[in-house]
Amino acid sequence: MTAIDKKLEKAMRENHRKNKQKLSRGDIAFNIINYAVFVLITLACIFPFYYLFINTISDNELVRLGQIQLYPRGIHFENYVQVLKIPGIIDALFVSIARTVLGTIWTVGGCAFLGYLCTKQEMWLRKVWYRLIIITMYFSAGLIPWYMNLRMLGFLDNFWVYVIPGLVSPYNVILVKTFIEALPPSLEESATLDGAGYTKLFVSIIMPLITPILATLCIFSAVGQWNSFTDTMMLMPSGKNYTLQFLLYKYQNEASSLAALVRNTQDSSSLANVATKQTALSVRMTVAMVVTLPILCVYPFFQRYFVKGIMIGAVKG
Amino acid sequence: MKKKWPVLLILAVAVAALFLPAAGLHVHAQLGAETAALFPDSLSLWDVISRGASALPVDQVPALSVLHLGRLPLLLGMIAMICSALTAFLRRKGMAQLSLILACLSAALLGAGTMQWLNIEDSLLFTVLISAKAWAYVPLAAAVVLAVYSLVALKGAEPVLTDDKKLRLISACLAVAALLMMLLPAYVISVPDTITANPADASAMNRSVSQYSLILGKESNLYEQGQEKGVYADILTGDLAQLEPYSADANNIRGVFVIRNNNTALNAALLAAAILLLLSAVLALIPRVDRWFPLAAGALGAVLLCTGTLSILSVGDADMYSSASRQLLHLGLGTITPIPLLAALLAVFSAAAGALGVKYANEPYFVNPVPEKLRLRFVAISLAVLALACMAAPNITVSFTKPNKTKVQATATLSGVDAVTFRAADRLANPTDSKDKAVYGEDDAEYSAAAVNAATAKTAKTFTWLTWLALGLTLAALAVILLNRSRKLAILLLLAALALRLVTWLAASSGLPRAVATGSGTLYLYASLPLLIFAAFFTNFSHMEQLPKKYKLFLMMLPFLLAVFLFSYLPLYGWSYAFYNYKFGVSMDQQEFVGLKWFTEMFTNAANRDNIVRVLKNTFGMSGLNLLTSWMPMIFAVFLNEITRTKFKKFVQIFTTLPNFISWALVFSFAMCLFAADTGIFSKFMMSVGLNDPANPTVWLNSSQHIWLKMWGWSTWKGLGWGAIMYLAAIAGIDQELYEAARVDGANRWALMRHITLPSLLPTFFVLLMLSISNILNNGMEQYLVFQNPMNRQTIEVLDLYVYNITIASGGTALYSYATAIGILKTLVSVTLLFSANFISKKLRGESIM
Repeated sequence: MTAIDKKLEKAMRENHRKNKQKLSRGDIAFNIINYAVFVLITLACIFPFYYLFINTISDNELVRLGQIQLYPRGIHFENYVQVLKIPGIIDALFVSIARTVLGTIWTVGGCAFLGYLCTKQEMWLRKVWYRLIIITMYFSAGLIPWYMNLRMLGFLDNFWVYVIPGLVSPYNVILVKTFIEALPPSLEESATLDGAGYTKLFVSIIMPLITPILATLCIFSAVGQWNSFTDTMMLMPSGKNYTLQFLLYKYQNEASSLAALVRNTQDSSSLANVATKQTALSVRMTVAMVVTLPILCVYPFFQRYFVKGIMIGAVKG
Repeated sequence: MKKKWPVLLILAVAVAALFLPAAGLHVHAQLGAETAALFPDSLSLWDVISRGASALPVDQVPALSVLHLGRLPLLLGMIAMICSALTAFLRRKGMAQLSLILACLSAALLGAGTMQWLNIEDSLLFTVLISAKAWAYVPLAAAVVLAVYSLVALKGAEPVLTDDKKLRLISACLAVAALLMMLLPAYVISVPDTITANPADASAMNRSVSQYSLILGKESNLYEQGQEKGVYADILTGDLAQLEPYSADANNIRGVFVIRNNNTALNAALLAAAILLLLSAVLALIPRVDRWFPLAAGALGAVLLCTGTLSILSVGDADMYSSASRQLLHLGLGTITPIPLLAALLAVFSAAAGALGVKYANEPYFVNPVPEKLRLRFVAISLAVLALACMAAPNITVSFTKPNKTKVQATATLSGVDAVTFRAADRLANPTDSKDKAVYGEDDAEYSAAAVNAATAKTAKTFTWLTWLALGLTLAALAVILLNRSRKLAILLLLAALALRLVTWLAASSGLPRAVATGSGTLYLYASLPLLIFAAFFTNFSHMEQLPKKYKLFLMMLPFLLAVFLFSYLPLYGWSYAFYNYKFGVSMDQQEFVGLKWFTEMFTNAANRDNIVRVLKNTFGMSGLNLLTSWMPMIFAVFLNEITRTKFKKFVQIFTTLPNFISWALVFSFAMCLFAADTGIFSKFMMSVGLNDPANPTVWLNSSQHIWLKMWGWSTWKGLGWGAIMYLAAIAGIDQELYEAARVDGANRWALMRHITLPSLLPTFFVLLMLSISNILNNGMEQYLVFQNPMNRQTIEVLDLYVYNITIASGGTALYSYATAIGILKTLVSVTLLFSANFISKKLRGESIM
């Protein structure tokens, strides 16, 4: 637990105690309004997820008529079964997972090691190289040069374009560097006496100590990879390596033809049932839900890490 | 092993993946719908294991029996994997090691099986396509993961074979056994007499081919005999028939048969594998040599042998029609033996024994027995030799064009060798590579053939002398390094060669009359420059006992610098497009240079100007709305801080940050459902209130009305809670004594918020405000891209989206140069804004925001 956490907790506890002592009428009114506003804001943030979810599990005919508003009716899971049968969606899922896992490992590993190297005062022209890396944060060549460059390097229609260009991310390098600089240098010195080289030092001494920041970077990188779809749109002209997010984006425009496709693959018995028949709307919503679910599933677990991570960033900045 | 459940998880994934479709079958329309109906849609690995070739309709299509569906390696691999997982749970001595060995075995078997099976792709004489899906690789991946996991889990296990000598001996023996295996037949070719016209041909074709004979390239004999005739198996009947000789212009590959012997890649892989394995065996037996060397050699050899073996096993690949016997094999005239697979497995085990030896060795860190001094010299010498080779290789391409024509008329490629042998002048003045030598007609008075020849000859002469000198200097430097004389002299010579190289390049590319011919350096030239630099770099340290730490660190940094260069700095080269009339697919030399045309066009051309003004208005409008409300996260944080119930606070925080983690594509899906004109909850609500006519519902989402406000609403919905986290962190950092003191002075809640919390958040707010001002032009495009449609395009198009719309999205009529010009201006304005914001920040607060 970081010092900030402790402070935060202490402050909260103290506040709590203070407020319990005496509550004026104005305080009570303030509290009521305050709580109410936050409940409303939170509801506004949750409701779209809930609304989408009840629409995907409800009777499709009712959904088409706009009858499902606040609670599900005629619950069935046929939509999910059928959507997972859409050709290409399993492959897209696989590509999404692969890019998220590989891209995250690659970026975080690269930035961690680079951040470590940047802390080494004895490096030849260290400041020059470090500035050269950091300065790329502030300018970009623009869309067309970026696209042409990747094309020239042979990254068009290539899965590795999701992974390899992300090796160095200046912001992450800064975070790791600041974090390592705060560690006591004596740790490394003793291992150096044992004859360990830089790589050995990094792997067995530095890495275990910087896991909090690495966890944060992992989360940001993984979410970024999972959510990105414009790169697929621009860099995969021949339809290879589509990701789930991009399919979602594509389906928003062509959901009606998709629904017909899904209906064709369905057998006749389930087709007769209006309630479970796929409509453009139902397919669109179900795909969206399929894309959201992984994030919803892992979100509670990583939530505490990014709060910590952004605090590290904030304290630094 | 401490934790064992991951083993079961891996096993479960592998077994589940067996039943998922591993490959799709696509039948060519030529075969007709009836034949196509015989084939299943997809095959799973389990189909292959359980039914083998009969997973395909062999009864109806007899030619299918030719296929080797490798069921045995797959089956054995799965069994090995299950055994490995089971042994992992036993608590007896050596079981962890056994589990590791089994996992390695299963990885090798599954790898061989999967590859062999999947490389049938494009087979069946190009009529049935088997296309692999990702699931096919899952069991293999699981086996590899299992092997790695068991290796990691071995950390605390008791070593079984602590004796290093024993492991060395085992490793060497296995390597030698693998080498001997290469002498045994890898596959047997048997061609019946009835197929060929001449029975002697058939008997000459019958043979057994070992990996050893592949290395020696003995197949050339077969090539000569099979050159004129060939056999061909019809897909439907399975009959073998005589084929016509291959003709270069035939575009129907089916039915065309050619036997070529160009399996150099396979031969080289096998040869390298043999050498490495031998090396590994020898080194393993010498106790003085560090364990890492036999291990490295053995592992590399094993990988190469596996590659070669897989290539032998996967006879089906059409691109890999590399040798006559493999082609015959593919036609079913012969069988594969399991020997190559066994050899590969033995090599893998040899490497594994080496790895165990390293693992149980006493020394903690890798100690290289070759002194670093020698290594440094070796690196310097090899770099210089490589640079020399690059210089002698073809390095200047000269393209001849007719004046005012972009089409290249002729090209001449010059190499360092040409220069040294004084042939450069001839070749440049009289491009022999040209199909049509008369590049310049009589009518091009200005560019008469004689004038062009004179100009190019002059350039070529310069080029010749310079190249000569550069080569000579490099050679001299090499001699100096080899003789171990003055290293300063060597560095000077190398740097001089480098300078000369650059001059040569300039001479060749700028000395030519530009409208007629342009020269460009190719890869070799670019390669020789860094090689020379690094040769000089290493020469500098060749006298030292070891490379100084500062340079060692720099070398570690180098790959990252290279990545930054490739992906961040190299695109800047693309800015040059803005000064050309860029056309896709034409080399940069041939593009039309237009100067600042695109920049002036932005403001002088009325249509363009209107567009730019409109797009800028949208950009500033929407960024401005966000800027104006950038205080909202701060207020959110301040009020959230007033909530005393920790649980409620956490709850709010968790759910208000959730929208930040979903993509804009998803946000648009939400918008589509909530605001659908007829069914969305928002429309229904408005109908029930009476603000919306049910018969003619308002189109909320697609209309162009209030689009800025709507976009602001969505970005606030997505970013409000997330933005507040930063402020909450800052609030946590406020000194609590300030509050105490204020309370003692009788300050109430509002006073505390106004006079303590808010002022202490202002610095953070100020920094973020400055950053968002400098980012006013970069408001991204994802959000606007997903929400844009023909109706709202006029008011939603921001700068980035506009650039995308007129280029990549527009297809044929892309305005690349114009878009690049816009991009350049945008970057320049952004950087200026950033520096001014930084300047203001320094003036006001004395702190830099960068």
